[in-house]
Amino acid sequence: MCVSDRQTTSRRQYVAALGAGSVAALAGCASGGGGGEETISIGSDIPYEPFEYRNEAGELIGFDVEIAAAVFSDEMGMDYEFQETSFDGIIPALNNANFRVIMSAMTINETRAESVDFSDPYFTAFQTVLILDDDNISQLDDLQGETVGVQRGTTGEAAAEDLKSDFDGELTIQSYDQITGAFDALLNNQVSAVINDNTVSASFAAENDGVVFLEGDGVAADRENAPDYLTLTIEEYGIAFRQDDDEFRQEVNDALAAIREDGTYDEIYNEYFDG
Amino acid sequence: MATQTDSESGADSVMMRDRLVKRVGEIAAGGFVLAVGGLIVWILSTQVDYRLLGSPLIAGRFAEAFLLVVQIVVVSSLLSVSAGVLVGLGRISTSPVTGRIAKGYVEFFRGTPLLFQLFVIFFGVPRLWATGEFPIQNWAVPAAVIGLTLNHAAYVGEAIRGGIDAVPDGQMEAARSLGMSRVMALREVVLPQAWRNALAAIGNDQIILVKDTSLLTVIAVPEIMSVFRNINSNQLDPWTPLVWVCLLYLAITMSMSQLVNGLERRSDWGSDSTMLGRLTRGSGGGGES
Repeated sequence: MCVSDRQTTSRRQYVAALGAGSVAALAGCASGGGGGEETISIGSDIPYEPFEYRNEAGELIGFDVEIAAAVFSDEMGMDYEFQETSFDGIIPALNNANFRVIMSAMTINETRAESVDFSDPYFTAFQTVLILDDDNISQLDDLQGETVGVQRGTTGEAAAEDLKSDFDGELTIQSYDQITGAFDALLNNQVSAVINDNTVSASFAAENDGVVFLEGDGVAADRENAPDYLTLTIEEYGIAFRQDDDEFRQEVNDALAAIREDGTYDEIYNEYFDG
Repeated sequence: MATQTDSESGADSVMMRDRLVKRVGEIAAGGFVLAVGGLIVWILSTQVDYRLLGSPLIAGRFAEAFLLVVQIVVVSSLLSVSAGVLVGLGRISTSPVTGRIAKGYVEFFRGTPLLFQLFVIFFGVPRLWATGEFPIQNWAVPAAVIGLTLNHAAYVGEAIRGGIDAVPDGQMEAARSLGMSRVMALREVVLPQAWRNALAAIGNDQIILVKDTSLLTVIAVPEIMSVFRNINSNQLDPWTPLVWVCLLYLAITMSMSQLVNGLERRSDWGSDSTMLGRLTRGSGGGGES
């Protein structure tokens, strides 16, 4: 189960994440996967632009990737590697020791905190609604009876579920494996809206004419630098650890504080979100 | 004397070896059952959350997905077998054009993964329209039916072609010599026999079609695997929903096996019971005329 061939591990993790291989993974990988002395393996659902995605040459880039470089490599002097995994099974895969930490634009919430421990927050995001410009949807209530697209296992999916109960069940939710599937569905007239993190949706809207945020005053309206579009929730991203990894988590928190202090964090932030 | 004893004991030891192999086989099979059974009992007693398993909410979600899968299977199954007969006939056509086109069809749909075909139909085809202009909403289920039909028609076509090839040439020749046209001979004489020959292979393929519906999770069809993945990602409990998944797929595939067995029995007119039925029916009809 635990060969170091990185081409094939992601496929195995996927199986393990589905639970079918979890027993074997526990038996075979308890000391492998995340336990490397030097190389920290990081589980991530790729692509999720601009946090983790590949450029045309296939190189992994993004906000999370550069934060990982700054924290693990520059501050802590360790090697790191990203392992692709599907988001809906990412927590079981972490707990099955397929990797040491999760960096995947992961929102800190109570449900997840029952299974993993989070670092200090390193990013603030909002759940937002992305629509087609020419559509007949101008406010949140217009979505009643419509279909929305989300990525499986995300807080966007949770926000859609909340909206569904607000609408007394009159909302159809289509859950896609990757956020790109939900974006495709929006362009292909399969869903009326996509509920997802603002920064990722903003990246997509910037690349596609006719795709815009649903406007309105949301939960973040009172904040400083509030986005000028509707926000459903305010969320903070954290790096996730197994619950028995406190010492390492503390070191990572120190490193996160250090890169905020010395300006590295702002540099990376400005590179991806133009300040 | 001596040689006879030798050969007797030789025969004995050969028989002994037969028995030994049989015993080893039984022990291996028994051990396998014990190991797998033990594992299953262990999983069912330690890993499965029975409160969650019996929860009406979860049961309802699985039931909804199950009904959708059954509907997709029934429609795709009927369409793919019908289309497969046409593909099989195309494959044995004496026209080089029809034959080559049918061959090309089979090579493409058997030679590329179903997942690729589903992506082409679900993500690719709508992009031929301008953004937001694709006319069919809820395209996932139609796309699934189209993909499963096109893919499995290729396999059924090959099964039908194999079934036709297995009918002795004499059948066609005899029918033609009775004055039947080629089409009539195919329809009345060759195809009924070919169908019987192909039935096992077609049944096999249709069972694979049932399992192929699990791929539809990636084009957001709310089918059985999707429900599993949602529960696993929210409740972080793989084994409980896996029990549901296992039972639901087996419910479809095992009823399908039963159906195929029934069809095989019905089309097996050479067997004693059906022959008797035909003979009595035949003599009754003869008496009337």
